[in-house]
Formats: sequence, C-alpha cells, structure tokens
Amino acid sequence: MKDFYLIYKNLTRKKMRLFLTTFAIFIAFLIFGAVMTLRSALNAGVEMSADNRLVVVHKTSFTNPLPYAYVNKVKTLDGVKDVTHANWFGGYYQEPRNQVVTLAVDPETYMTVYPELVVEPAQLATWFATQSGILVGERLAKANNWQVGDQIALSSNIFSRKTGGQTWDFTVSGIFKGNEAKVDTGYVLIHYKYFNETQSWGGDSVGWLILTTTDAALNEQVASQIDTNFANSNNETDTSTEQAFNKAFIEQIGNIGLIIFGVVFMAFFTILIVVGNTMVLAIRERTNEIAVLKTLGFESKRIFKMVLAESCLLAFLGGLLGLGAAYVIVTGAAEQMARFLPNLVLDENIVLQALGYMLLLGLVTGMAPAIAALRLNIVTAFSRG
Amino acid sequence: MSTLLSQSAAVIKMNIQSLPRRLWMSLAMVFASAVVVAILLAFLAMAKGFDATMQSAGSDDIAFFMRVGSAAELNSSASREQVNLIENAPGIMRDEQGPMVSAELYVIVDGVKKSSQTEANLPLRGLDQRGVTMRKGFTLVAGRMFEPGTDELIVGAGVLREFDGFDLGQEIRFGKYTWKVVGVFSAGGNVFESELWADAKVIQNLYNRGSSYQSVRARLEPGASLDAITAYLKSEPRLTHEVQTESAYFAEQGKSLAYMAMFGWVISCIMALGALAGALNTMYTSVSDRAMEIATLRAIGFSNFSAFIGTMAEAMALAVLGSLLGSLVAYIFFDGLNASTLGGSFTQVVFSFKLTPELFANGITLALIIGFVSGFFPAWRAARVPVILAFQAGR
Repeated sequence: MKDFYLIYKNLTRKKMRLFLTTFAIFIAFLIFGAVMTLRSALNAGVEMSADNRLVVVHKTSFTNPLPYAYVNKVKTLDGVKDVTHANWFGGYYQEPRNQVVTLAVDPETYMTVYPELVVEPAQLATWFATQSGILVGERLAKANNWQVGDQIALSSNIFSRKTGGQTWDFTVSGIFKGNEAKVDTGYVLIHYKYFNETQSWGGDSVGWLILTTTDAALNEQVASQIDTNFANSNNETDTSTEQAFNKAFIEQIGNIGLIIFGVVFMAFFTILIVVGNTMVLAIRERTNEIAVLKTLGFESKRIFKMVLAESCLLAFLGGLLGLGAAYVIVTGAAEQMARFLPNLVLDENIVLQALGYMLLLGLVTGMAPAIAALRLNIVTAFSRG
Repeated sequence: MSTLLSQSAAVIKMNIQSLPRRLWMSLAMVFASAVVVAILLAFLAMAKGFDATMQSAGSDDIAFFMRVGSAAELNSSASREQVNLIENAPGIMRDEQGPMVSAELYVIVDGVKKSSQTEANLPLRGLDQRGVTMRKGFTLVAGRMFEPGTDELIVGAGVLREFDGFDLGQEIRFGKYTWKVVGVFSAGGNVFESELWADAKVIQNLYNRGSSYQSVRARLEPGASLDAITAYLKSEPRLTHEVQTESAYFAEQGKSLAYMAMFGWVISCIMALGALAGALNTMYTSVSDRAMEIATLRAIGFSNFSAFIGTMAEAMALAVLGSLLGSLVAYIFFDGLNASTLGGSFTQVVFSFKLTPELFANGITLALIIGFVSGFFPAWRAARVPVILAFQAGR
C-alpha cells in the first residue's frame, strides 16, 4: 500500500507532464482502436464467410452473366447441398449517387444458403409471398429510416423496365439482421422472378451462383467438377470458396489499403516512441531519489517493481482512455454513417491487442530505468548528483 | 528596439547551441512532427495522383453521352439507332467521313495483378480509329495499332506496368476467346492507360452485344453549346441519354478518392494533437532545463520578450526541421509510387502518387502550427517565472 502511494506521488509530481504524456498515449490508442475497427470491418467479408460456401462466376469476369440453366445443372452434381443465385441490380435511391446494394435473388434458396441472415418468421413469410416485396438489411433500414410496410422506389443504373423507365416500386416486407454483429446488413434483397420478368433486356441469366457443399473437405473437388462441367462452353465458369472470392474482391481495392494501414501503424508506433522517450527521461531524472530510497533500506527488487508499475500504470491510464474514446467514436460513426461504412465493431480481439501494446509500452519504457535503478550503486549515484 | 533585437538574437543562439544537451527530447519532437507531415502528405499525394489521372483524361471539346442515371460508362448503353440519332445532334463537328462521333463499348475482363497475383477487373474498350484520334496525348510506344475486324488488342502502359501477361506479342485468354497483344500505348499518364483497346465490332460480336454500344463521344464544334444538345436529347423520345463534357465526367470520377484526402486530414490532425503533446513536453523540459540560464539573463537585464522569443525560436526550429524531414521522407517514399485501385466504373485505375508544392505547403503549415503552439506556452512560462523562483528551481 505504501508502495502504491509512492508510485502515485511519483506519477503526479509534475501534473503538466502527466497530462501531456497521458494525452499522447490517449491519442495513439484512439487511432489504433478506430483504425483497427475499420480494418476489421473491411475484412469482415472474409472473416465471416462460411467454409463450405462456394461462389461460381463467369470466367471472363464476375460482371458477366451466366445462363439460368446452370443453377439446375450445378444442383445435380455430387457434393452440392444447396444452390442459389443472385443478380446485381445496380440500385440507387432517388439520386444516382445514393447507391443501394440490391441483389435480385431466389428468396427461399437464398435464405437457406445464408443461414446467418435472421428475419422474423412472419416477415419472412410475407416476403416469400410478395413478388414486389423487398427484404432490407438492418443497417440500410436504419440509415434510410425504412419501416416494414413502406413503399420505396429503387432505380437501376443498369436495367430498364419493359414498361419504360428505370424505377421499380417495392414494398418493405421485412428487415433482416445478422446472427452476429459483424454480419453485413448493408444491402437489400428483391425477387429474381419479379426482376427478370419486368426488365427489358430479356434473357434468363443470373449474375453468379452461390452453393454450399455437403462437407467443406469436398470444396476443391466440387469446384473443379463445376468448372470442368462448363469448360469449352460459351460461358466458362470460375468457382472459388466464398472466402477466396471475398478476399480477391477486397484486394481489388489494391495496395492503397496496405499503404493506408501501413502509414497509420507508423503513426501509432511513432507516438509510442515519442512518449516512451519522455517516460524514460522522467524516471532517469530521479536517480538521486532512488539512491535515497536504497539508503533508507528499500530492496532493489522492490524499487524495480515500483518503477515498472509506474510506467505500466501510465501506459494503461492513457491507453484505456484512448480505447474508450475509440469505442465511443466508432459507435457514433456506425450510427451516423451507416450508409457509407460497413458494420463497425470494436471487438474483443482489438481490445486484447490494444491491451497487449499497452503492457508492452509500459514494460519497455519502464525496463531500462528499472534495471538502472536495480543496479544503481548508492555511492556513485550520490557523488554524481 | 535594436537592443531588443540583439538580445533576442543572443538568446536564440544560446537556445540552439544548448540543444545537444536535450538531444533525445529534441529529436523526439523533430521525429513526431516529421511523421505527422509524412502521413498527411502520403494521403494527399494519393488523392492528388488519382485525381490527376482522371482529370487529365477528359477534354473540354468532347461531348460525352451516357444513358440517364448510369453514373459510369460501364452501366450505360446505346443502340445503333440511338448512336445515329446522337450523330445528328447540333454542334457536332464533321469531316469528310461524316460526324466525328465515336460509339464505344466497355466490358470487364480479368487480369492478374503483379503485386498480389490476384485477379482484378480490367476494362476492355471497344472503339475504332475515330475514337482513338479523339484521345489527346495518344501515342503508340511499341508495336502497332490493332487491325479492325481481328482479335488484336493494344494495351495501356499502366496495365503493362501493374499486370502480368500483357507483354507485346503475347496471347491472352479471356474466357473462351484468345486475343493477341500487338501494341502498347501511352495516353500521357491518364486513366486510359489502365485500359485494353480493341475493335468495337469484334467485341460486339464476342460479347453478344448485337449492334449496341455503351457510351458515345463526339467532338464539338468550337463554341458549340451543351444546352442545345441537351434540348435536342430531350426533344427526341427515342433517346434516353444525357450529355456532359468529357472533362466534367472525369472530374466527377476523380472525386471518388477525395475521401482519402479527407481521411488523411482527419488522421493527421488527430496525430498532430498527439505530437503536440509530445512537443509541449519537449519544450517544457527545455524551459526547466534552462531555468538557471533564463533567470540569469533576466537578472542581468535581458527583457522578458527575449526569453519568450528564444523559446519560441527553438520550438519553431525543431518543428521546421521535422517538417523538412517529413517532406523528404514523403518525397522519397511516396512521390511517383505506383498504385491501382477500383475506380468508378468498377475497374482498376492505375495511378501514381503525386506530390505538388501546394501539398508540401500544407504539410509545412501543419508543422508550423505544432511548433507555434508547443513553443508559445512554455515560452510564456519562461518569460513569466519570477527570477527568484527560477533560481531556486534551477539549484
């Protein structure tokens, strides 16, 4: 207890320095928390993908459509459990810049293949039964303030209606949530049948197929079976696991992602170095006092512990405050910018990493002066001072 | 007045000369401001480079037609009939071959990125000789032009740089069809260099597009007004298109990385706060380190002002040093750095980071603000602490 009082006194002897150092650590962990959350949100697609889900796209590019007949052909192959399909609608709400990710899907099979999407049974039944019904992701519903029963008009920047115009009217049948916070709910689902019958381009084609295998171990076998099956046809396919597909998609954003995170981490470590430097100096200044403590009979080990405890306390004080602020900001941003940003979740993984860095900061900055204190020879210390 | 100046000069000199005594603290401040500047410049250079790649692609004297609401070339469509109607729009230049109009196709194919060895979307543009001549700055840097009606294509220099398998003479397979690379073109560093070009008719055929196109470009007569064309488009019920200058279209596309610049400002301003805390620590340490000296000077008649200026100058010098270091690092590592990302048309845009004098000015301004604030408060203390207290503290 007495030790703790001494640590406290040491920490607070220069209020201004304590404040500035804490503030710098605070900023470092604020940036760390916020940026790591953003990064994990961007990678959520990869992280959350099911290990037995495969994606089949056109070999030339995933923007090329596949014939509808492929759905039934794939279904008959060995090792395939469920198959569904989706079309990119190119949707926007009112203004072209107001993009709404809209997928035209086969409702029943889509919900089977994506069990992580959770809808109230009554809403789901309504959606299945309503051709012009739309199932809205929770995040989008919040951002646009859409309620069940609302009429919304979505336009397409690709397709036109047979009857003219590019705007379709939909009724919100239900709202889907994720079974975990990280599951993305920033898109809407419409009926493929309704879309296909009303759009003017004609042709029964689907954008891509999603299927589940009976066992993840069969993934490779099923994928090559599908691709061989359609080889040398007019529409060759490229089948990959959902995880690989999502990863490739994120990599399209390119090395700029790498550069951004690289740069931000540099920032984080710089602040730590700068702060660490101050903390080391702050303890160095007290060589004399440590000599006095030793003279008074404090054991070297005890002083060693006290110095380390002081630097760790400082690291955790600033770090925890910073992480807390990051949490507040992330939660606020998730509400305010739901339209643009994916699901932001500052999860325990990030917290653990941050705690690790705080401990590291405390230990590294405390270690050198603590060892110096441990080894300090009283006579030389006094003669120096 | 002159005593004030000479006093200040003397104090500044003393401050700077005493810097090695506080080497680590001073270096920490230089380092912190350098990193803040480098980070800001990295983000700004990224946004600037992308914007410049887009901006330089568009011409003011080219009218660009897309279907209403399509937002990007990829989503647009135009039937042969519609292209014919657009050719009759007012204000379009004509030569001996008729109206100078280029109807083009824009399809996506997969290419393998050198950096990650993963597939990424590349645009394959279908056009004819007329369309090629509409691009300012177009030059063939190797090989020859594609022969109309054949499966030959030419690749942009940017594609060649960032993607595998597009070397001159090589054959590439997109799905079922094989193409031959017969030329490499440069377009002065703009976004067209991220594209593959081939004959429009061949693409129509291979991609089941019938006789339809996607976007239409037309060279305008000098002084032609877009309003007249818009009125014409509105009056013709068979047309569902809108018109803008090509430069306006690309200017809009260039904004898609503008959020990067914003993100850069936010991050570096937050960083700057952290650096500021570090810098204030440095400067307070400096003042307490020199407390004796300051008290002595003031006791022998130096003014408060000279003590103030001395500390300020030290802070500013460290910050400027940091900003120069940061700018240098940013220049070495980021200027001209090649990158590629998804552009508005859902395809890869190859671009280079670009640092301009005004961006450097932004970085240096930020460092100067850090220097000023971190100098001001400690300098105030240096000038205000009663001499007697300073002597006591210094003992």
